[in-house]
Amino acid sequence: MVALAAVVLPASGHCAAAAVLRLGNPGEPQTLDPQRYNLRLEETILNDLFVGLTTFDAEGDLTPGVATSWQTSEDGLRWTFRLGDSRWSDGTPVSADDFVFAYRRLLDPATAASLAYFMYPLKNATAVNTGKMPLTALGVSAPDPKTLILELEQPYPHLLERLLYPTAYPLPKHIVERLGSDWVKPQNWVSNGAYVLKEWRPQAYVALQANAYYLPAPAIAEVVYYPLASEQAAYNRFRAGEIDAINSFPAGELDNARDNMTAALRTSAQLSIIYLVFNTRVPPFNDIRVREALALAVDQEIITDKVQKSGNLASESFVPTLVSNYESVPPPYYSLTTAERLERARMLLAEAGYSSANPLQITLRYISGAEAKRTALAIAAFWKPLGVDVRLHHAELKVHFADLRQGDFEVAQAGWVGENNAEHYLSLLISDTGEVNYGGFSDAEFDELMAAAQAEADVEARNRLLRAAEARASTLYPVIPLYSIGIRRLVNPALEGWHENLRDIHPARYLSFGP
Amino acid sequence: MLRYLLIRGLYLIVTFWVIVTLVFFLLRLAPGGPFDGERRLPAEVEQNLLAAYDLDKPLPQQYLNYLQMLVQGDLGPSFKQKDFTVAELVSAGLPVSLGIGGAALILAVVAGIGLGTAAGLRSGSVTDLLVMGTTNLGLAVPAIVLAPLLALIFAVWLDLLPTGGIGSPAHYLLPAIALSLPFVAAIARLTRGSVAEVMTQPHVTTARAKGLPDARIIRRHILPIALLPVLSFLGPAAAALLTGSVVVEQVFELPGIGRYFVQAALNRDYTLVMGVAVVYAAFILGFNLLVDLCYARLDPRIRLFGNSPGL
Repeated sequence: MVALAAVVLPASGHCAAAAVLRLGNPGEPQTLDPQRYNLRLEETILNDLFVGLTTFDAEGDLTPGVATSWQTSEDGLRWTFRLGDSRWSDGTPVSADDFVFAYRRLLDPATAASLAYFMYPLKNATAVNTGKMPLTALGVSAPDPKTLILELEQPYPHLLERLLYPTAYPLPKHIVERLGSDWVKPQNWVSNGAYVLKEWRPQAYVALQANAYYLPAPAIAEVVYYPLASEQAAYNRFRAGEIDAINSFPAGELDNARDNMTAALRTSAQLSIIYLVFNTRVPPFNDIRVREALALAVDQEIITDKVQKSGNLASESFVPTLVSNYESVPPPYYSLTTAERLERARMLLAEAGYSSANPLQITLRYISGAEAKRTALAIAAFWKPLGVDVRLHHAELKVHFADLRQGDFEVAQAGWVGENNAEHYLSLLISDTGEVNYGGFSDAEFDELMAAAQAEADVEARNRLLRAAEARASTLYPVIPLYSIGIRRLVNPALEGWHENLRDIHPARYLSFGP
Repeated sequence: MLRYLLIRGLYLIVTFWVIVTLVFFLLRLAPGGPFDGERRLPAEVEQNLLAAYDLDKPLPQQYLNYLQMLVQGDLGPSFKQKDFTVAELVSAGLPVSLGIGGAALILAVVAGIGLGTAAGLRSGSVTDLLVMGTTNLGLAVPAIVLAPLLALIFAVWLDLLPTGGIGSPAHYLLPAIALSLPFVAAIARLTRGSVAEVMTQPHVTTARAKGLPDARIIRRHILPIALLPVLSFLGPAAAALLTGSVVVEQVFELPGIGRYFVQAALNRDYTLVMGVAVVYAAFILGFNLLVDLCYARLDPRIRLFGNSPGL
C-alpha cells in the first residue's frame, strides 16, 4: 500500500527559504549534558551547542576549535593547546579553566559519566574515575587562561580525534558551579557553540537558536531536532515537507527514492562494522576449524546486495575498509572461489568430527528486527549446505547485549560504530578488554602486537603493528565480519552545504537555505 | 453512601499497592539493566552509575525506598532522561494524551451512541445493516493498521493534515479519529443491542400505549436503561483513551505518556515506567469508581446501601 503510494506520488515540495532548519533525529536525547551523554543522536545536537578544542569543518574533517594551535612533546605524552578568543553565550570568555573543570567533572565518580572512559588516555584518569586518586591528580592543567596542558598515560596519537567527542567539551564553570545539575535547563543554558538550547519538549522536539556571541554567525537562526524513532513516520513527514532532513527511511523505499527523489536522496557508508561473534569459550567454537568453516561459507556481498538491499557495504575485514590511512586485512581465504571455499569448509568440518550423521547444531542470536532476521536467515542458508543445523533466536537490543556480555550465546550478531582508526575496532579482541570482547577471544600473539601498537607514538609505525595484529586475528576467526552500515537519508534539495562524510557529521552552522 | 466511599477508597489503595508492587518486581525480572548497551563500560564506570541510582542496593531495599518516595508524592529522577524528573516528564506528556484521548472520547460517545440508537430503533433495516457492517470493520481493523493508513491518505496523499508531531489543533485530528474508531464501533454495537432489547420491554409498550411521542419515549424510557451497559464500558474505555494509546502516539510521533511507557520499558528506565504505571493505575481505578457511582444514579434498581455493586 505504502510502496504503491510512493510510486504514484513524488515528494511534495519543501518551502525553499526558511529561517528554521527542521532536522529528524533517530530518537529522543537522554541528556544534553556533554559529560553525561551516551548516544550518537545526542552527539549530533551537542555538536551544534558546543565547540571543543578541535571541531569539524563543513566536510566533517577535523579542524581547530577553541584551540588555535597545539604542540606535542617528543615522547607524545604532553600536549600543549593554545586557546583563541571565544565566548560563552552569556558573553564570558572561554577559559582553559573551563576545560579543566569539565574534564575533572567527567572523571569524577560522582558524575557517573558512562563515557568517562573516552578520556582514559589522560594521565591518572582511571584512578581518578575509581576514586583512588583525587580529581586534582588528573593530567589536565591550565597555567594561564589561554593555555591548556594535557598529560597522557601513554602515547595516544588519536588524541585530537578523541577531543571531538562531547566528553571533551568545555563547560561554563561559572554557571555549573552556581546551579549544579540544573544548568542544563533551557532557561539556565549557556554554551560556546554556534547555537544555544532554546526549548526542549520531551519526545516532541529540541529547539536551538543562534548564539549571539558565536563567530562567524550561522546562516540559519533556528534549528529544531525532532525525535523520529520510526523510519516510516520520518519518511512520511519528509514527504509532507515537514522535515528538512531525515537520517533514515524504510529500506523498501530505497528503489523508489532512487527513481523519484534523486535530488533529495543521499547515500553513504558509516564507519562501523556489523559482525558475527563466536563464543570461543565453549565447544565447538573453541575449535578454530569450526570457526573457519563457518566463516568460509558466508558471502558478505550476497547479504548486502541480494538480501538486505538497503545500502549496507559488505566487509570481509574486521576493520572497516572505510578507515582512512589504513589498509584493512582480508581473511586468508580471500582469493578462493566460492566453490573452493565450500570444499575447504566441508573438509574442515569433517576434520572437526561433523558429518550428516553427526550434524553441527548452532543457535544464532540476532537483535529483533526485519533486516536482522533476513540476514540471520541468509546466514543459516549459507551454513545449510555444510550440513549445519541452525536455530535462530532473537531478542530486543538490551536483552541481546546483556546475553552477549554474560557470554550466554554460541554465535551472535554484534556491531561496533566507531572512530576513524583501526585500533578502535581491533581493541575489541584484546583478551583483557572485558565484556565487549563478547566471545572471550584470547591470543597472546595478538595481545602483544596490540600492546606494542598502543605504546607507539608514530601513527605509521602504529598502523604497521595494527595491520600485523589484524592479520594475526584474521587467521584465528574470532568473528565473521559482515558489513558497514549504509546510511540512506533524504535531505531537502534547497538546503546548501550538506556534505556526506565518514563521520556522518553535518553541523548546522555550515548549512543554509539557497536564495 | 459515606461508608461505601470509605470501603471503596480502601480497596482502591490496596489495589494500587498491588499494582505498584507487581510492576516494580516484574520490571526487575526483565533481563538487561538501564545501563546495558552496546558501548563498552569499564567495571569502575558501571559501579559509579549503579551507585548514583541506588541500583547497587539489594532489591527489597530499593523497593522500600521507592514506596517511601511514592508516599511522599515523589516519582523520582528518570534513569534515562537525565535532564528531567519523572514528574516533569509525566506532566509534559499527560496533557497531550489527555487532549487526544478527550477528543477521541467525545467522538466515540457522540458517534457511537448516535449510530447505535439509529440502528437499534430500526433493527433489521438498511440503516442497521450499514451501521453494523461498518462497525464490524471498525472493530476488526486495529489502530496499528488504521493510523498509518489515515496518515497516508490525509497527510501524504491529500496533504490536508500534518503527518505527526504537535503544534496546532489540526495535529490532534487524525490521532483522535484513529484512536476513537474502535470505540465508536464498540459503543455503537453495545447501544444498538440494548436499545433493541429495551424496545421490547413492557414499560416501553406501556409508554407507547399512553400515546407518548417517540422522542420522549427514546429519551425518557429507552436510553437511560439502554445506556447502562455502555456506561460500564465507558469507565475502562475512558481510562484507556485518556491515558493515551501506545500505537497511535508512536505512529503520529506524539509526545504523550503512552510513548514514554514503551520507550522507558525498552530502555529499562525503571522509575519512568513506574511513574507512568502509577498514573495509568490511578486513572483506571478512578474511572471505575466514577462509573459505579454514575451507575447507581442512572439505574433505579441499584442502591448503594445494602445492594453491593461489587468491584
